[in-house]
Amino acid sequence: MRHLLWMWLALVALGACAFGGAFLPLPAGLRPLLMLPSLVMVAILALGFMEVRRGGALPGAFALAAIFWLFVLLGLGSADPLTRRVYPADQGGASVPGPPEISPQR
Amino acid sequence: MSQTVTATRVLSYLEDGKTLRSWLLTTDHKRIAILYALSITVFFFIGGTAAALIRYNLVTPQGALPSAETYNRLFTMHGVIMVWFFLVPAAPVTIGNFIIPLMIGARDLAFPKINLMSWYLFMAGGACALYALFAGGVDTGWTFYAPLSSNYAQGHVVAVVAGIFISGFSTIATGLNFVVTIHRLRAPGLTWYRLPVFIWSFYATSVIFLLATPVLAITLILLSFERIFHVGVFDPRIGGDPLLFQHMFWFYSHPAVYIMVLPGMGIVSQIIPCFSRKELFGYKFVVWCSVAIAVIGFFVWGHHMFVSGQSPYASIVFSLLSYFVAVPSAIKVFNWLGTMHKGRIHFNAPMIYALGFVGLFTSGGLTGLFLAALAADVHLHDTYFVIAHFHFIMVGGMVSAYFAALHFWWPKITGRMYPETIARGAALLMFLGFNFTFLPQYILGYLGMPRRYHSYPPEFQVLNVLSSAGASILAVAYVLPLFYLGWSLFRGERAPRNPWRATGLEWTTDSPPITRNFLVVPTVTSGPYDYADPHTKLADV
Amino acid sequence: MSENVAPHTHFQYEDARHQADSAIAGMWLFLATEVLFFGGLILAWIFCRHWNPEGFAAGAKESVLWIGTVNLALLITSSFVYGLGQAAIEAGRVRMLIWCCLLTAGIGVVFLGLKLLEWHVDLDENLWPAGPFKLHGAEADGGRLFWIFYFVATGLHAVHMLVGIVAVCWIALRARRAEFTADWHTPVTVVGLYWSFVDMVWIVLYPLIYVVGRLS
Repeated sequence: MRHLLWMWLALVALGACAFGGAFLPLPAGLRPLLMLPSLVMVAILALGFMEVRRGGALPGAFALAAIFWLFVLLGLGSADPLTRRVYPADQGGASVPGPPEISPQR
Repeated sequence: MSQTVTATRVLSYLEDGKTLRSWLLTTDHKRIAILYALSITVFFFIGGTAAALIRYNLVTPQGALPSAETYNRLFTMHGVIMVWFFLVPAAPVTIGNFIIPLMIGARDLAFPKINLMSWYLFMAGGACALYALFAGGVDTGWTFYAPLSSNYAQGHVVAVVAGIFISGFSTIATGLNFVVTIHRLRAPGLTWYRLPVFIWSFYATSVIFLLATPVLAITLILLSFERIFHVGVFDPRIGGDPLLFQHMFWFYSHPAVYIMVLPGMGIVSQIIPCFSRKELFGYKFVVWCSVAIAVIGFFVWGHHMFVSGQSPYASIVFSLLSYFVAVPSAIKVFNWLGTMHKGRIHFNAPMIYALGFVGLFTSGGLTGLFLAALAADVHLHDTYFVIAHFHFIMVGGMVSAYFAALHFWWPKITGRMYPETIARGAALLMFLGFNFTFLPQYILGYLGMPRRYHSYPPEFQVLNVLSSAGASILAVAYVLPLFYLGWSLFRGERAPRNPWRATGLEWTTDSPPITRNFLVVPTVTSGPYDYADPHTKLADV
Repeated sequence: MSENVAPHTHFQYEDARHQADSAIAGMWLFLATEVLFFGGLILAWIFCRHWNPEGFAAGAKESVLWIGTVNLALLITSSFVYGLGQAAIEAGRVRMLIWCCLLTAGIGVVFLGLKLLEWHVDLDENLWPAGPFKLHGAEADGGRLFWIFYFVATGLHAVHMLVGIVAVCWIALRARRAEFTADWHTPVTVVGLYWSFVDMVWIVLYPLIYVVGRLS
């Protein structure tokens, strides 16, 4: 039971860090780093309360598979928006030149 | 290993309880498989009827059906039913549910009650979707792209989507059951490398069930939110991204096509060695290729979006990965051919269907390579070339494999032999009808005929008429088994334990098996394809 | 092979331990599917934030930080309490388990109550993404996107909480019927896994909703 109490205290401390991040002025690009305390909390829950390493190899394998596939979804899924070039929508009048005219020849 | 079964419980699973209640509240994986088989047969014929009406419409260039709207609703209905209520569940919930425990020497699946619940969820989802489709349906295509489906489409989008959502829970439950069962309930001595490829394939399929379906679930929820409240994350008018829908949708739907085909690969990996009287060539290759297909299949979904406005850099990555995913499939085809080489081949009906799978799957798979090429796809996207491509794999491949499995394990499931000559004829007729229907569509697509159009330019008529004529032959080939398999239930010759002299633990049980599968759980000491002498003749059946 | 098997062991399993480990593995596998479910929602967050950084952050600033944080503390504590209950039944102390379950469920109910309060406040402030919206001008669209994400995410999380509360109460009921012993209490463990996972989801949603967008 003692170890449960320590884990709870750690979680509360990390929760306080997460809360504190709401007041930390980071530039917009770095703000997702404020997720870090939460990710540590997730690890504590998985290893401590859920005891993922108990019950054989299977729970751990399933948990790792979930994390890997989550990274594929988020990582490969973000590849498009991060590399997409946005062409601003024309508000009226050709401010951006269109493709060159192709004279029809058959 | 599980506890021994006392000698009193030796009724076959079909005789063990004759009331309706004993069927509707069963937890026996074999009975649940039968319940599922009846349901998906009904869905298959409903989806097939929609297909028949589509082909009827396309006989004339201006469209034979009264309205384009009707045509749109029909192809949507065809796609929704065939994808979610036939192809995705079919082999896993019928053949998988029945055979997996038998093949690994288990007495049932890990979670029998969850198995029964999965059938009820499937029926609930199916009822919801069918009601919506018959009440007028939707015209968005089975792909439900936003913003058409969320903002502009007339029809019962949310109801159809709800049906699909509910059925998703059914597939997750099935996948969960299979994975835990295969890990935990194997007979003593049945190490991973002694498992038949069938088991590896269904395991890989189950992994995809589990990891892809939840993403579909959240996609459908977000779509429904947008449809109901008229504002959502896919709406470009408020800065949302329609491509987000496509990314999330295809993250599920591309692996879903591997859900549909991997079981077929597992099935033919059992049938070809048996009817060649020879062990599977390159067992470990086939095993790891199955796993590779399931894994790499998650990395390629963007190839459905090459012309959507997706970043060209992302498209290049997806194109390259799509070429990688083709490799393990190709390796398996060579393995099947290598199995037959210098074997002694018997052309029973399951073998004809399995060979049809190999040929038609290869053809469809090769055309996938054209589609994976960015420049070619610009021309081919949304044409009949794509339709032909996936029908070659899904129908030519997977439906053939499903019929192969039905015939191969029919003696085990029902205790009866089907009439071999008619079955061979039906198999050949299916192959003929299929090619007649779908080969012209490759040409139509290459010539530029777009998909999902109710009318077309007159110069395409000949090919369309050929295709529709082929469809009528295909329909006959699908209906024939209903008759002769049904007939065999009452008049078929009683099946012995192992009519094909096949390897596999399922063939050591009675035909049909007792409720608890094995009187004594076997211990395994040899590999899965121990076909000693290629010149051993099959017993005449 | 022995014909004497533990009363809960089903015929396809060797023994109770075999079945228990399989049930636990099954729950972990189910939780893996839930990771992908909420993962899709996170992808939506990434997309919406990427295409509308200012509006999305403007929307996030309107979230009620104190309620979110109190709820975080509540859920962390509930996992701890349920863990105490699990430790109790491992030592055979059924009454302690029942109290822990009831306290866990109670914390869950308080969480949901605060959630309803929060939604009420949000709706009063015109933060419902459809219809008249609190933010105007350039930030309105991104703000709406944030609040769509917010309501879908917190709504789905609340549904999961509700299922969890019912499950925990069911465990308490079964414990009261003396179904669990120090030797066998698999359902307690399995429900505990689910409850901790629902906690995890809130731990991840918390910064996405209340922290990342708050200052810019």
